[in-house]
Amino acid sequence: MDIQFNGVTKRYMSGSSAPALENVFLKIKKGEFVYLIGETGSGKSTLLRCITCEVIPTNGYLTVGGMQLRRMNSVALALYRREIGVVFQDFQLLPKLTVFENAAFVLETMGYSSEHIKPRVADVLKQVGLWTHRNMYPNQISGGAQQRLAIARAIVNEPSLIIADEPTGNLDDHTAKQIMELIFDINSRGTTVLMATHNANLVNSYKHRVIEMQQGHVVRDEYNGCYEAASSASASAGQKMEVSANG
Amino acid sequence: MGKSGYIFRDGWRLVSRNLWASILTIFTSVAVFFVIGAGLLLVLNMRHVVATMDDQLTIQVYLQQGADAQPVLKSVAKSRGISGSKIVTKQMALDRLRSRMGAQLDTVSLLGENPLPDSVEFMINEASSVPAIVKKLEAAPGVEEVIYAGKVAEKLTRLSDFISMLSIFLLAVAVCASGIVLFNTVKLSVYAKEEEIKIMLLVGATPTYIALPYVIQGIILGTLGSITSFGLLAAAYALALEKLKEMLPFFQFVGLPVLASRLGFLLFACGMTVSLIASFLAVNKFIRKASKPL
Repeated sequence: MDIQFNGVTKRYMSGSSAPALENVFLKIKKGEFVYLIGETGSGKSTLLRCITCEVIPTNGYLTVGGMQLRRMNSVALALYRREIGVVFQDFQLLPKLTVFENAAFVLETMGYSSEHIKPRVADVLKQVGLWTHRNMYPNQISGGAQQRLAIARAIVNEPSLIIADEPTGNLDDHTAKQIMELIFDINSRGTTVLMATHNANLVNSYKHRVIEMQQGHVVRDEYNGCYEAASSASASAGQKMEVSANG
Repeated sequence: MGKSGYIFRDGWRLVSRNLWASILTIFTSVAVFFVIGAGLLLVLNMRHVVATMDDQLTIQVYLQQGADAQPVLKSVAKSRGISGSKIVTKQMALDRLRSRMGAQLDTVSLLGENPLPDSVEFMINEASSVPAIVKKLEAAPGVEEVIYAGKVAEKLTRLSDFISMLSIFLLAVAVCASGIVLFNTVKLSVYAKEEEIKIMLLVGATPTYIALPYVIQGIILGTLGSITSFGLLAAAYALALEKLKEMLPFFQFVGLPVLASRLGFLLFACGMTVSLIASFLAVNKFIRKASKPL
């Protein structure tokens, strides 16, 4: 799924407050893997929220999958969001639903029959290594397992775009590595992935396109980029993860 | 299972996986619907008593000892509003009294010789014609006394009207109260799941798909409350009915099968409607707001 930002500006409040995004031009091609980096408040989350239509640009426009995003009615918005898988830093699972039910939820909202849902969810849970946990509730599994579940939920309906906002933020290095390998695997099958992260080790270990944001502007857009190039002071050298950068 | 199946299942999940909150809501709605039911019961009985008394609107003309009934009948032969007449001998009057008194028959026996006079009973089908008929009857020869229940019926009708109006007012208050209870329960339930609802919206659920289980939750709780309160009311009424029949043998109260069909239907319909509206209002506004982009 292609994404194109055309001079997108977003102001949350009228008046003198600085815009969260200002005149952003970006083009992300179908099947790309893109890191979105930058300090807190640089506009990363707003950019992602524009794509998920939680935020409507004040100026400019963006197109996703060839469709220009505008204010949509609730049904059109729901249909659009089913094309996007979202993975959050704090997992955002449904606490009263079991692992299986969480993963099945999106397919249920789409109206699939249980005959279709059961095998599909079983496949995805096996893929993320959660099949044995299927009857547990989110608070009964580890943080890593919860994040894997969030990924399972994001990919269960085979979306063309995955948005991941700090998916490894709450995880230890070993679990983060597992999660990343899972996301790379999804990307290798043609799904576009846009991932916001503060994790320098991750960006430097698995090299892909890096877009850096600062005060609402895109200040760097580099293929096979590193985290350090624009923020060398904050990057902690020598802590490279011992992983193969094959993504 | 299809989409509607998931919605019903999720509605039931909201009830069963928040069991204590659900039980608390059911208790509250039972109390409210019990008040509604008690009000309805009062109205149903008042109307029944008045209707029974309307059917029994008669003029009793008691004759002097040994007087003939024919002149009395002739005096009102051309009057309007009389649907029938019947001569009641003193023996017939005693038999009738015995059948009404039932267990208190012994009291009648104590009186010794039958003290009741011969009488003529006029059946009336037009309450407004009663005063003119009474006037003629009082002037007829051999009449000892004329007794009629017109004023009683009039007063009873006025009382019934007043009680009906009061009941409608009380019912409106009770329906609003039950609506507010259910509205707040569902609203709290929705607010407690604010984050969940936002997640659901973000992963592609439509507002209707999210809202309907909450509406079903409200309907389940409200309906269970109304059914439980009906059960309690029916049991209480069955006990009270026996006592009332003993204490007030001249009145006819609504029987239990009639009560079951009328009150049961009213409470069930009331419970479903109120909970449907209250839960829809509670959930709709919140979800519309949550789904609006910034």
